[in-house]
Amino acid sequence: MKCRLDSLCPVGLDPMRELLWFFIGVGASTLYSLKFIFSLLSTRSNLLYSLERLPAGDAAMLTMPCFSALMNGATIGFLLVALCMPALALVHYLYHYQGSRSIYLMRRLPQRWELARRCLALPALGAAAALLCGLVITLLWMGLYLFATPRELLSPLWYL
Amino acid sequence: MLQLDSVSKSYRNQKALQEVSLTLRPGEIVGLFGENGAGKTTLMSCILGYLRHEGSITLDGAPITRKNIARLSFATSVHSFFPNLSAAAHREFYQLHFPAFRTRRFEGLMEFFELPMHRPARHLSTGQQNQLEVILALSQGADYILMDEPFAGNDLFNREDFYKVLSGILEPNETVVISTHLIEEIQNFIGRAVLLHQGRLIGDKSADDLEAEGKDLVQFVKESYHYRADRVSRALGSFAPDDHDDRNPL
Repeated sequence: MKCRLDSLCPVGLDPMRELLWFFIGVGASTLYSLKFIFSLLSTRSNLLYSLERLPAGDAAMLTMPCFSALMNGATIGFLLVALCMPALALVHYLYHYQGSRSIYLMRRLPQRWELARRCLALPALGAAAALLCGLVITLLWMGLYLFATPRELLSPLWYL
Repeated sequence: MLQLDSVSKSYRNQKALQEVSLTLRPGEIVGLFGENGAGKTTLMSCILGYLRHEGSITLDGAPITRKNIARLSFATSVHSFFPNLSAAAHREFYQLHFPAFRTRRFEGLMEFFELPMHRPARHLSTGQQNQLEVILALSQGADYILMDEPFAGNDLFNREDFYKVLSGILEPNETVVISTHLIEEIQNFIGRAVLLHQGRLIGDKSADDLEAEGKDLVQFVKESYHYRADRVSRALGSFAPDDHDDRNPL
């Protein structure tokens, strides 16, 4: 795997270190997204408490806040990781000016796309993977939202 | 044949190269001389396609593109190797990207210069880094080898060894263009001298022509630059204290 990744990043740069930073970013984003669960559970218990105590007429008015309101930017971390990737591409390019001018060698390779591939491939894959993780987490939390919310508290929009 | 036809290059309002026309034939060893800022590096950068320029540069009649760029190699004093890679890893990289890579020449030169094969290039001394840079350029399998001040930082013995080795290993179709300020050192090694001054080509002579004229390279360079031998003494004379000034101006 390392060999394959080696061919996707600047020559001499350790792809595993970049991968480690990517996983730290995605891990931190996942942890931050857990705030949705705390928000969901506390809102749910408050609603259930109110449901038991309010008269039936008033209780019928109670609904769970919509999913996006509860999410409240819980997946912003994944977006931030994806937004870091253009900066990483720039770092990859500038790497060819550090310690030597290996840019001269890269620019005269017979393979036209070698330099672009080595500068852009990992950032592009990283951005795609971060956004995909964000999407998966969003879908997962949405499933949890539907599972954890009593049917009578769900907004009627969910039945449309 | 590498042909430059009216090549010009400007940086904003500064003319770095002006209408340079030059033909480099297979098998030549050409010295490219000129003062700092004369346009030597710019000329090489234009040949390698690093800089946009006016005029045309062709290799056997075809413009230099990705299809024929591997026929040119380049060694520069600022180095174009990867600092984190060892010589052995460079060999692998070159073998992968340059099918004509001369592995035997590479290994022979590495052995001759006693360079470590598995130490990252950034941990080599400046002299060793220069040697690695030149070895890679010579081993790429290119027909035209461009060297821009390749020996900056090397000691005299190292440089002399290198000239001898180079004379011994080059094949008849390999052309070397070497830009340097070490005119006296290189004069017995090159077959042709090309002079640039303020971006213009001011001299182009073969070693045979110089020999026929009874001149050496240093003389030729001085004549082409209209070097005035009395320049220093006149300058020192102008610094001499006059009657009214007892202080030493120097």
